[in-house]
Amino acid sequence: MSEYHLVRRGDFSYKRVIICYAIGILVSLGIGALLLIGLGINPIEYYGRMLSIGLIGNRYAYKCIEGLLKVFVPLLITSLALGLAFKMRFWNIGGEGEFLIGSICAAIVAFNSNGMPKILTIILMCLAAALSAGIVGLAVAALKVKFNTNETLMTLMFNYIMLYLIRYLGNTKAGWNFFLNPESERPIFGQFEENCKMGGIKIGCFTLLYSVIAAVMITIIIYIYLKYTKQGYEISVVGDSSATARYAGMRVGRIILRTMFISAALIGLAAGLATSTAGTISESITNNVGWTGVIVAWLAKLSVPGIFITSLLISVLQYGCQAAATQYPSIDSNFADLLQGIILFSVLAADFAATFKIVKKEGPKND
Amino acid sequence: MQAAIELKGISKSFGSVAANKNIDLTVGKGEILALLGENGSGKTTLMNMLSGIYMPDSGSIFIDGKKVKINSPQAAGKLGIGMVHQHFKLVERFTALDNIRIGMGKEAGVFFKSGYTRKYVMEIAERFGFNIDPDKYVYNMSVSEKQTLEILKVLCYGAKIVILDEPTAVLTVQEIERLFEVLFKMRSEGHSVIIITHKLNEVMEVSDRVAVLRHGEYVGSVETKKTSEKELTELMVGHKIDLNISRPMIEKTQPLLEIRDLTVKSDEGNVAVDGMNFYIRGGEILGVAGIAGSGQKELCEAIAGLRPIVKGQMIHDGESIVGMSPKKISKHGISMSFIPEDRLGMGLAPSLSITDNMILKSYNDSKGIFVDRKDARIEAAETIEKLAISAPSTETPVRRLSGGNVQKVLLGREIKSGPNVLITAYPVRGLDINSSYMIYDILNEQKQKGVGILFVGEDLDVMLALCDKIMVMCHGKLQGVVNGNNATKEDIGLMMTGALNIVNKEGKTDGIAKDSIIKDGKEEESV
Repeated sequence: MSEYHLVRRGDFSYKRVIICYAIGILVSLGIGALLLIGLGINPIEYYGRMLSIGLIGNRYAYKCIEGLLKVFVPLLITSLALGLAFKMRFWNIGGEGEFLIGSICAAIVAFNSNGMPKILTIILMCLAAALSAGIVGLAVAALKVKFNTNETLMTLMFNYIMLYLIRYLGNTKAGWNFFLNPESERPIFGQFEENCKMGGIKIGCFTLLYSVIAAVMITIIIYIYLKYTKQGYEISVVGDSSATARYAGMRVGRIILRTMFISAALIGLAAGLATSTAGTISESITNNVGWTGVIVAWLAKLSVPGIFITSLLISVLQYGCQAAATQYPSIDSNFADLLQGIILFSVLAADFAATFKIVKKEGPKND
Repeated sequence: MQAAIELKGISKSFGSVAANKNIDLTVGKGEILALLGENGSGKTTLMNMLSGIYMPDSGSIFIDGKKVKINSPQAAGKLGIGMVHQHFKLVERFTALDNIRIGMGKEAGVFFKSGYTRKYVMEIAERFGFNIDPDKYVYNMSVSEKQTLEILKVLCYGAKIVILDEPTAVLTVQEIERLFEVLFKMRSEGHSVIIITHKLNEVMEVSDRVAVLRHGEYVGSVETKKTSEKELTELMVGHKIDLNISRPMIEKTQPLLEIRDLTVKSDEGNVAVDGMNFYIRGGEILGVAGIAGSGQKELCEAIAGLRPIVKGQMIHDGESIVGMSPKKISKHGISMSFIPEDRLGMGLAPSLSITDNMILKSYNDSKGIFVDRKDARIEAAETIEKLAISAPSTETPVRRLSGGNVQKVLLGREIKSGPNVLITAYPVRGLDINSSYMIYDILNEQKQKGVGILFVGEDLDVMLALCDKIMVMCHGKLQGVVNGNNATKEDIGLMMTGALNIVNKEGKTDGIAKDSIIKDGKEEESV
């Protein structure tokens, strides 16, 4: 009788990790291809369109890049922010809620801006968004520090509070409700004035939004923050062992409060930028970044460059599926979510294969 | 002698690490076999294979001459092998009897025929001379009672071969004696006992034969009667080693740290340290002996400023340190290294590099917002070299180091800050002989520099050899202070259990220095 069992690999090599991940992604694309064939679609053609995000043979190719970046920026900033909290082993899964409250507060500024200068308005919107989300994060952290509440539950519940808040605002026709379009009979959210919309640098036809520049700068700042600053060092110590941090004389409570404020405020900032870019609000403004960001942060193993690359790839996947969907009426952008799920599974399996090996148990030799 | 259990060519590896290589081992019926070996020599792995937790990669196991396959703890139980683990596996909220009953399975009946099991259990307890109250709840039991229950449990499940993993680590001298009596009783009943231990004197006392493992290989076995502690150590380590711990005598200074009437509460709110008085002079090692959980941890944390005190005075260098932050106390020259049971829990951040762990207490001393790792790297390299830490580089995560090296990193950091009072709790916890002696040397070196050392320890033999004075705690109370060179283990054991108290003996109060700078009454009012 032969048996199989798992053995942890003694050595570690980047080569094996990369090979395992590549195989994982190929396998998931393969499964996706089978699904596509089932729907009567040529998978090679479809994947081609998806990965080229509709650039090829398009007169307005620059529009595709702009669209991709609009998906990319909020996802990148949110993933970085979540990674920051996760590094401290603080399970902030309230990205959605923090994003929504940020969005609502940015919209409050926008709807009341009354022709303020553009730069000032947008900065105010971002500040309002970051501050409001930061306060939510701070509240959860304070409860954790003071009463040792479970942050996973608290942040999760905030997601629903914020979701129903924005639904309430979007469905209630009333004199005070400045969020709605006053000309419409049905309750729908109003559009921002021109002074609230994100501007950018014109490069030919292509507009490089300021939000993209902001996102890249935030990435670099967080990289330096985590790797070289004292506060970043404190985060890694607290995350590794809070008992040790306490023994070293660190004020663990304060570090948790500070880091969670930064994490939530960054998500709020992402919301402010996204809201300004969209020019309106809606309950789907988050594009699920609060959830996708969790996946991105873990796929990247909380490394900042890893998060940058992973969120870019996930954005290509999402936007590419949208772009490809215009050509194939039988499938829509939900296919992106499906494929994303399959990829996540395969990558986890790949990670497992990179750390463990399966060994066939040999019977005793000296029988 | 007839063999109860026979291992032939057993090998087991984890990844590329071979934990056991081709081991042959025989245990006779009615024999007590001591299994000796340094840390990482594969003792626990081998025993885990006998108790069905691991399966050997190759080799075979014979029980009563028949070849068997042990692929689960249940299978081991059926074959009559029972293991008493270092960490007890008992349900705290159950009584002794219920703890035995839950593992009985079918024999106890669907509805737990309580009369039957009670009779059965008590019969066995009587046969082996256990003194146990079947209706006592586990959470009310002392450590030794819990261990008695564990042993009784495996005997009730029909074990003929009982494996004990470091059973004496948590017991007092008197309790150890009682345990050995039980073991002798088991031997006379024809049971086989395998006992894993680090303590050579116990090996000499209790075992019939000693089997030695070294680096996963079976070195051989010797009859206890025909060997000596020295020979066993050489077998274990593979070369000659000087077993004497030196106790250099140096000029002692005035008390560096004085503690008066200190009372501290535990996390649960009980009084953990109860009105303790003691002092440490420069150039001496003050040992702290006591059963685990007698308030040692709380005492250390109170001195380091990590735990608020209820009342009392703590004077260091003529200044009260009560109410100071941990950072301030460490600046003041008091440094603490506490090795918890899991070793890495306090004092070190396991995923971080050696460099990052070196700066854990000092990272905030440099100016600006950035961490200065350049100097830290040099410091880490110096410490690695000075303490002979075996690590690939200064950037290796601490968790990849072996136990001894981890503890050296911790001590190295504490010494680096140049303290004049060093509090070290369980610094050799789980270390093998070589590494332990390295740590003793480091401590002696500090002592010779005039540092006052508070050494919270477990092994009385070591403490008697190393410490200038030993103070004994029981339930947070000081039981007395004895001299390292004339105290006996028996006295300390009695003091640990609270049976002997020598404070205030002969009109002299232990724990208060004659040349104390604390003026009685005067300073106490100001606190």
